[in-house]
Amino acid sequence: MKINTEPKLTLFHCLNSFEETASMFDGCDAKTIKMACSSMTKDVHLLRAFEAGADAVLVLVCHEKGCRYAQGSMWAKKRVDYVKTILDDIGMDGRRLNIFNTTAKDSGSIKDIIQNTISQLETIGPNPALNHFN
Amino acid sequence: MITASQKPINEIIELLEPYKKILILGCGTCVKTCFAGGEDEVAVLASALRLSFKKMVRPIEIEEMTIERQCENEFIQEASSSIARNDVILSLACGAGVQAMAKRFSKEVVLPGLNTTFIGIQESSGIFTEECSGCGDCSLATFGGVCPVTRCAKKLLNGPCGGSQNGFCEIDPDTQCAWHLIIERLTTLGQLDNLKTYIPPKNWNTSLCGGPRKLIREDHII
Ligand code: SF4
Ligand code: SF4
Repeated sequence: MKINTEPKLTLFHCLNSFEETASMFDGCDAKTIKMACSSMTKDVHLLRAFEAGADAVLVLVCHEKGCRYAQGSMWAKKRVDYVKTILDDIGMDGRRLNIFNTTAKDSGSIKDIIQNTISQLETIGPNPALNHFN
Repeated sequence: MITASQKPINEIIELLEPYKKILILGCGTCVKTCFAGGEDEVAVLASALRLSFKKMVRPIEIEEMTIERQCENEFIQEASSSIARNDVILSLACGAGVQAMAKRFSKEVVLPGLNTTFIGIQESSGIFTEECSGCGDCSLATFGGVCPVTRCAKKLLNGPCGGSQNGFCEIDPDTQCAWHLIIERLTTLGQLDNLKTYIPPKNWNTSLCGGPRKLIREDHII
């Protein structure tokens, strides 16, 4: 199914992996959620982002070796992978949730990640639960 | 603790088919520790179910609640008003908790959201192992605190068998041989002589094999 309006994107990020720059979110309606550390990525928050209407959810965390809290990025990846399986199980398509290792300085790569997510949504389609929210 | 894991979500969705108002009731003790039925798991399951039902265009109301223990009347009581306003209780407790709820609320439907697995411990982060089968006649004193009834695949009391390989069991190279552990531990404790005594076949009447068991404490009954 094609998305007619701007796709909704929710982006969770740790303090050191993301900094918003102009035009970063062109082509989408974005919400950003800052976490003190990527280890705060919780299953329920990811799922609730979809409940709140996100078509795609991105989690940006530091590179595994660059994580200030040692294992934060690794734990975040575990949470994302787990929630992807839940999304697949309930027919929501786990591909609409992804995690990337980034650094705040590298706004170019982050912009690419966002644009790729938007174009991927053309194939995956909008949040299948979205139209039925009250 | 009693360990359990969540039933596949599609099985849960099927179980919930006839109901519109669902109470997901967590249990804040054992099954919380093994990431199956605590507050966090209740919230995740509730969110996943809401998404799933909305995708199916099926109107549903979900209430979330976690009580300290579903296997004790005192705590169960707290859930009374939530239970009264819902059609069904999806219990994220062990089998004992589900049955305690069903006993206490005899007119309510109580569904199990978990598969109860065993009595065990958290060996390391995210890894739970079975340690006790509740045989009703504990012999850990003889075996240096390692249970062959549970941890030896053949339940040997005068082991090891010939399949013990470099400390691991022949049934699974990832499972430690209980008898290897027993001997190591008794050696450390200087109690290896424990094994000089022949241990006769176990009386399984004290276990589940003798039928469902009951524990009676006359000193706590009036
Ligand atoms: S001997 Fe029986 S009670 Fe003791 S740990 Fe083993 S199974 Fe449990
Ligand atoms: S290898 Fe050890 S644990 Fe496995 S069946 Fe034999 S004695 Fe029991």
